[in-house]
Amino acid sequence: MQPNQSFLQRRPDLKSKPCPFCGKQTKYIDYKDYPTLKPYTDYFGNIRAKYYTGVCLKHQKLLRTAIERARFLAMLAYRK
Amino acid sequence: MPTLQPSTEEHTIYEIAVLYPILAQKEEQALLKEVEGFFAEVGAKQIAKDAWGRRGLAYPVEGNMEGNFVIYYYEMEPARIKEVDNNLRIEKNVLRHLIVKPPKGYQIVKYSETYEQWLKERETVDQVRSREKEEKLKEQVAKKAKQQARRSDEQRKQETHEVKKPMVEGELQKKLDKLISDDTLDI
Repeated sequence: MQPNQSFLQRRPDLKSKPCPFCGKQTKYIDYKDYPTLKPYTDYFGNIRAKYYTGVCLKHQKLLRTAIERARFLAMLAYRK
Repeated sequence: MPTLQPSTEEHTIYEIAVLYPILAQKEEQALLKEVEGFFAEVGAKQIAKDAWGRRGLAYPVEGNMEGNFVIYYYEMEPARIKEVDNNLRIEKNVLRHLIVKPPKGYQIVKYSETYEQWLKERETVDQVRSREKEEKLKEQVAKKAKQQARRSDEQRKQETHEVKKPMVEGELQKKLDKLISDDTLDI
């Protein structure tokens, strides 16, 4: 079961939201892992700002490189 | 899930992703042989291979809306990776290729399997959503039924009151009649 992803669309209280990657202690975000990358892009294919998702800066940087690599390989869209 | 560790310090492990269009079986086999030949030329040692198979693409690449992914893990001398990169770039049927150095302690995950699992789970997520919708509808129906029951109860009560009142009046009249007709009473 995947967790409910509706929390990504709600306007959050940033202080109360922990980073989802810090909780799992991820050291590397894989560009091949489509199911984890998909919820961090919006309808138009842009990367969601960390303000809305609660991802910390360290993991947001890893996410960015992963999403950019996935875009190059046509796994994610540049623009819809 | 095996972890990656180079056998010697002179060698490094590379992860190479190759995207090629949908081809006839013979051409596909020839292409894969050629791609693996590039690595053999350089003296690389294959550690793992993960063929994803047919997948839809997010945007058309040279007119293809679908493609095949293959992911290789090779151990080789870092000085000679450029030759492989060049060869892959020149190769006609390779749409995209990406060479990445995986970080220390990287575990190989077969994404061809996990993706299929995810597809199945996603269907279940949709099912859960539809179930939630049905539950909501059921709740609404139950609420409406309750409200209707309440209303009908109130109506019945009112009706019973209406029925009781004349009964009471009749009884009163009867009692009055009895009282009036009672001969034992002397006023």
